[in-house]
Amino acid sequence: MSRMTWHGVRTVALLELRQRVRSTRWVVALVVWFLVVGAITALTWAAIGGLGAGLGATSGDDRVLTGPPIFGAVVFFVLFLGLLVSPTLSATSVNGDRNAGTLATLQVTLLSPVEIAVGKLLAAWVAALAFLAVSVPFLVIALAAGGVPVVSVVVCLVVLALLLAVICAIGLGFSALSPRTSGSAVLTFLAVAGLTVLTPIVFALSLPSVTTQEEVRVWTVPATYDWESGEPPECEWQTQTMGVSHTERTWWLLAANPFVILADAAPQARAETAGVSDPLGAIRTAVRSARTGPAAEQDWCTGTFVSLTADGTAIDEPQSPVEVPEPDRSLVWPYGLAVNVLLGAIGLTVAIRRLSIPQRRLPRGTRVA
Amino acid sequence: MSTTADDVSHAPAASTSPGIRVTGLHRSFGAVRALDGVDLTARAGAVTALVGPNGSGKTALLLVLAGLLVPDEGEVRVAGHDPVTDGPAARARTGWMPDAFGTWDSLTAREVLLTFAAAYRLPRATAVERAAELLETVHLTEYADRPASVLSRGQKQRLGLARALVHDPDVLLLDEPASGLDPRSRVDLRVLLRDLASRGTTVLVSSHVLAELDEMADDAVFLSRGRTVVPERSAATGDGTREWRLRALSLETLTTWLTSVGARWRPDDLTAGDGPPGSGGVLLPVVGEEGAARLLADAVAAGVPMTGLAPAAGALERAYLTLEEERR
Repeated sequence: MSRMTWHGVRTVALLELRQRVRSTRWVVALVVWFLVVGAITALTWAAIGGLGAGLGATSGDDRVLTGPPIFGAVVFFVLFLGLLVSPTLSATSVNGDRNAGTLATLQVTLLSPVEIAVGKLLAAWVAALAFLAVSVPFLVIALAAGGVPVVSVVVCLVVLALLLAVICAIGLGFSALSPRTSGSAVLTFLAVAGLTVLTPIVFALSLPSVTTQEEVRVWTVPATYDWESGEPPECEWQTQTMGVSHTERTWWLLAANPFVILADAAPQARAETAGVSDPLGAIRTAVRSARTGPAAEQDWCTGTFVSLTADGTAIDEPQSPVEVPEPDRSLVWPYGLAVNVLLGAIGLTVAIRRLSIPQRRLPRGTRVA
Repeated sequence: MSTTADDVSHAPAASTSPGIRVTGLHRSFGAVRALDGVDLTARAGAVTALVGPNGSGKTALLLVLAGLLVPDEGEVRVAGHDPVTDGPAARARTGWMPDAFGTWDSLTAREVLLTFAAAYRLPRATAVERAAELLETVHLTEYADRPASVLSRGQKQRLGLARALVHDPDVLLLDEPASGLDPRSRVDLRVLLRDLASRGTTVLVSSHVLAELDEMADDAVFLSRGRTVVPERSAATGDGTREWRLRALSLETLTTWLTSVGARWRPDDLTAGDGPPGSGGVLLPVVGEEGAARLLADAVAAGVPMTGLAPAAGALERAYLTLEEERR
């Protein structure tokens, strides 16, 4: 029977939370988290703020220059710490109870396996949200550095909360699969590492396999041009064969990365000049251009030569006929989040199946009670 | 199947309750046949002892009855419900206390009971009342609001019993409930189980303390190598003959005398090596207490230096020891 009632879920979640709050150094963990995130925020502020001042930016531009990097660094750090902490919240919840001899007594009650699994997930998620809540002041402080819309804090918190729920669900699934708590913890950390570290590595390593020799139209300087002539060249169309990386086939590897999801979902920084100095925006631009893939035409001419008039001002170049490829504006994060939520759903489903009684097969090396 | 709190909260004092019926139960774990043909009936309103050596399948049988394991073959009815196809209905009426279980150490005894009451979907008010009542029953009221981690092993065992009773089950499955209990608590347990049985509950108890089961069980089921076995009844025949244990300072004098009077004695392996050198004991079938009195008088008159004469074992133990099966 797999019905789910709020009463059942709440019973399990309350049990888990009570047990967790009373038996672990819960407050200490939150305080340590608060101090670490606070220290990182202060250091980032000092480092990037100092950089901005060093560039001689005036007060107004200064905010535009330093705000987005500070916010981006703090948000990424919170995600980083969250990815480290979340596995420990759920990765021992099923096999730990089984080893402690408390799981079977709960299974024989009228609680359904769905209620036990969802209750455990909810408890782990609430614990993860507590860490997130402690980080909110620093996100707001980072916001004060300027250049970032207020809605960013809300969007980032929602995405962070969802990502941590996914990690908790994956941990729950492993804790139901593996008889040992150490095994499930390691597997969950490996899953997190796979999502965060392995995806960009595989993306990079897969580049040669998606790179093909193709003919590309290039707007370039004619081969006959006399470089000593002093006259600006008349650029012309040529067709050249070169390696072209079709990242539009592999961009989804990047999309599944939690950091990419967070960066892509965060609203655009306010200032037009933000460009590169906005780390979230830079990641967003990179992943979206990877999704767009290579352009059919390339401009190797425009900007290569600067002709000056007698009094030293630059002469406008002729208009380039090459279309500047427009990066794909469509969102990447829904795909990535969907992949992550799917992984979390698999974890939860595994846990529910493994919690169902009566059991037909026993996991190796375990006793039922 | 919908199980409402009402179904659970008032277990009818049902002499009509069907108890436990098991026929042809088989269950293997890989190559190990844990249950290999179990037939068992536990009457409602009676305490049934489940007796067997270590590894004979007692715990596996209780896991099937509790609804945790799917049997490979066989029919199981607990309180009239099949724990596999009709799990929630069976579980709503079953209280199970495993041989080894944990408690959430940082919850208080009362919170543990309230959590289980909620898990059995008892209404909150009923649950509070029931928890207080059960804590009283198992003499843990004093510890009600202290974390379970401060409880001793025996106290935890009592809390486990209260947990199994929280929804007032029709069928109670107890796996080694007396282990870790002090003598006073053992007596309490016996009284409690007799009381539950008298109110119509089906009680199935496994234990190694056979003398204790002897005192509280109405019926006994013997399990050996995953099979229910009927013990040879030779040890307890109708004329009141049972085995007595004789001990003397000089084993040689004792056996010589017994042989000279033609008694069918056999060596007592259990107590060999006890006592001073040369002393020892034998086992001897004796008819009734009068027979024992006569035997003692004769032995003393014959000059045997007697040190003891006592019934060798309780009925269950005797039956148990006649099982021609080895421990594993």
